[in-house]
Amino acid sequence: MTTIVYILLAAGLVFFGGTTLAAFYWAAKTGQFRNLEDGSKSIFDEDEPVGTATDAFADKQADRPLRRGAVAN
Amino acid sequence: MSATLTEAHPSTVTPEMEKAQRAMIDESTRLPVVLFYASAVFWLLVGTVFALLASFKMNAPTFLDQWGWLTFGRVRPAHLNAVAYGWAASAGIGTGLWLMARLCRTPLRHSKLLIGAAVFWNIGILLGILGILAGDGRSIEWLEFPNYASFMLFVAFGLIAVWAIIMFRFRQPGHVYVSQWYLLAAFLWFPWLYSTANLLLNFQPIQGGAQGAVNWWYGHNALGLWFTPLGLATAYYLIPKVLGRPIHSYYLSILGFWSLALFYSWNGMHHLIGGPFPAWLISASVVASVMMFIPVITTAINHHMTVRGNFQALKWSPTLRFTVFGAMCYTLASLQGIFMAVPSLNVVTHFTHYTVGHAHLGLYAFFTMIMFGAMYYILPRVVGWEWPSVRLIRWHFWLVAIGIGMMVVVLTLGGILQGLALLDPNITFMASLDYTKPWLFLRSISGVLLTAGHIVFAVSFTLLLLKAGSLRTEPTLFGSDQGRQPEPLNV
Ligand code: HEM
Repeated sequence: MTTIVYILLAAGLVFFGGTTLAAFYWAAKTGQFRNLEDGSKSIFDEDEPVGTATDAFADKQADRPLRRGAVAN
Repeated sequence: MSATLTEAHPSTVTPEMEKAQRAMIDESTRLPVVLFYASAVFWLLVGTVFALLASFKMNAPTFLDQWGWLTFGRVRPAHLNAVAYGWAASAGIGTGLWLMARLCRTPLRHSKLLIGAAVFWNIGILLGILGILAGDGRSIEWLEFPNYASFMLFVAFGLIAVWAIIMFRFRQPGHVYVSQWYLLAAFLWFPWLYSTANLLLNFQPIQGGAQGAVNWWYGHNALGLWFTPLGLATAYYLIPKVLGRPIHSYYLSILGFWSLALFYSWNGMHHLIGGPFPAWLISASVVASVMMFIPVITTAINHHMTVRGNFQALKWSPTLRFTVFGAMCYTLASLQGIFMAVPSLNVVTHFTHYTVGHAHLGLYAFFTMIMFGAMYYILPRVVGWEWPSVRLIRWHFWLVAIGIGMMVVVLTLGGILQGLALLDPNITFMASLDYTKPWLFLRSISGVLLTAGHIVFAVSFTLLLLKAGSLRTEPTLFGSDQGRQPEPLNV
């Protein structure tokens, strides 16, 4: 039983350490650390663009009027 | 159906399509998010009752001591587990599920996995708390749940991790936003931390002092690699989103994530300063605690600079008010923690109420406030119904903000006096306790304020789920009941 626990522990260390390093490598390789300017804007879209406050909620009916914080650019 | 947007030529994607897509994603998260949120609010109320009992017992030790299951030694761990796992973790999971769907830009799939997780989760917490009250609890801080309960929680964590991997696998192409890194870290690492600690402490216990080391390796990782990333992921999404302003320095936010991943896992041993452990073990942890200055300050600068110039928005946005309060307290709690990890200061504050003050600054003023903020943003979107009453939100905010502020201040001051008295060889231990009495009384009062706030919030939450009032097309903003328009923002 103790041996099984030790094997599990060692396997866990290797697996989780390894996947974290792999994630870092993957991020660097796929350009996640480049174009940070665009990255920061990835949570915005045409409907909720930069410059629009959103404490209103999106609704299925696109025609429903939404009040948002007025924005001065 | 989610593929339609990306397959379409970019120029044909209209704001209306994006709005419809976002609404569809929000709606797809409804059942799991509402389940976890409702569990969270339920356990918040349960945990609050235990909190009040434990706090009253500090003033009147014989209060309700005729029943074994209501003695301090059981009520106190029942409180910790109800609020940490029952409330905070459930709220964090609910928020994390919604954020995952939004950040993967795809509707939530396999909600059955999550509903299963919610069932295991709640049964686990119920069994755990009943077990603790029945005298089955373990004397291991943060892992008091008996095995039959912790196993249930492990299954729930496992299901959520599997779900997170599937969601990430099927995400829409594009940038992986910083919040997503935090969420993946929390969802994937935590089942490992939780199972390893339980394996080594409860199922196949290791012997001697090493138990303490495993205990605090787990305890601190629960704070640093579970609650902290869930809270920060939320803040990094909501603050820019509500303000309509990208995060001040995205570079710093990425640096913050990877440095947190690197240093936080070394922090645990600072809970054992002065204990029977090898000096290198403690020293390495103290160094890593000080290194936490990097992720903490990057986050602090980022959140502050993003909100800067727009602090008036706190006047109208409930989400922002709670979230920014929480983000500021993250900085405070962490800077305080760094000082507490310095051995010459820890010698005063360890074993005193000062630590409890820090714990509440971290898990309440930071994490809990951010979760309240998240619920104010997310629930109307997933349920399709606005918060029924601005007044209730306002009462909620002020009761809990004043309550937690007062609690942290009185525990900090009382804790310092207690710590100095404990170090003074001329003061007996019993006399050192006398120093804490007035502070503990004030602490109970702050607890009553928090309780009132939680009741107000629970009422507001229930009314929303029942879709009370009439359908509203406007968001519930502070000040909107007086017909005022929010002031313009600087972008
Ligand atoms: C850089 C960041 C932080 C550092 C260096 C730090 C440091 C510490 C230290 C040294 C202690 C032990 C005090 C003692 O027993 O003498 C402690 C306790 C605690 N900290 Fe932190 N802290 C940090 C951030 C946080 C955050 C963000 C949270 C909440 C999410 C938090 C929650 C807690 C809790 C709940 C305890 C009490 C644990 C217990 O004894 O049950 N800390 N912290």
